Amino acid sequence: MNMQLEGKVYPPYRLKPDRALAAKMLAGQGVAGVAAAVPPTYFLFLRGAAHGVDLFADLDIPREKALHAGQRYEWLAPIGWDDEVEVTARIASLAEKQGKGGKLWFADVEYEYRLLPARTLALREITRLVKRS
Amino acid sequence: MAPLKQGDVVFDVTRPGATREQLVLFSAGTEDPNPIHVDEAFAKRAGFPTVLQQGPMTTAHLGALLAERFGPRLASLDVTFTAPVFPGEALRLVGKVESAGPEIVLALSVHKPDGTQSARGTATIRA
Repeated sequence: MNMQLEGKVYPPYRLKPDRALAAKMLAGQGVAGVAAAVPPTYFLFLRGAAHGVDLFADLDIPREKALHAGQRYEWLAPIGWDDEVEVTARIASLAEKQGKGGKLWFADVEYEYRLLPARTLALREITRLVKRS
Repeated sequence: MAPLKQGDVVFDVTRPGATREQLVLFSAGTEDPNPIHVDEAFAKRAGFPTVLQQGPMTTAHLGALLAERFGPRLASLDVTFTAPVFPGEALRLVGKVESAGPEIVLALSVHKPDGTQSARGTATIRA
């Protein structure tokens, strides 16, 4: 893992919730129809890859060695379908540990979602990634 | 509705096992390019018997259940994935009140039909 990236803050990017993507998420969960409200976990780190925040590439985590250890969401203000948010990603911590089957590397990455134009903090998401050796 | 108290079960539901087609849809909906969720050969090269269900699908199930019950009072959700989930494996999702004070803290657990815990976590609810 690229340990030098601890503390890196990416340039902000903007997102608007997309009903078609939300419908696919729901269909994937086995729920038919359209989402009345933006699903609470609609915003997630994966959407940053199209905006220059490709954690797997930047941290050197090949997909076949990647595990997703967990997620944390903190909801501070509602985000509606017509809202636009500014997203800032920060590599909060990186750690290397010795596991039973070899070395493991852990990355905690924090995303803040701010409602525009006021830049009110609406959502904080932390994703925890693991690279297997 | 009576106030929640320690030990109350807020939800105890079982979601049917997802099909591979559902995994494809969920990857598309979350813009997840990882082939481990959709490509059998890739998943096997990575050391798994078949494709893996996305961890964020478990988070999405929990988030939906919590939002349905608590709406904007839902303050946080923290989920740790503890075992892989494969297509066709139903998930039992349980949310139980751990403490009820100024805020409500829920203990969350997710189990597969064979009893394996696939995720655990906590959620906090504003008073």
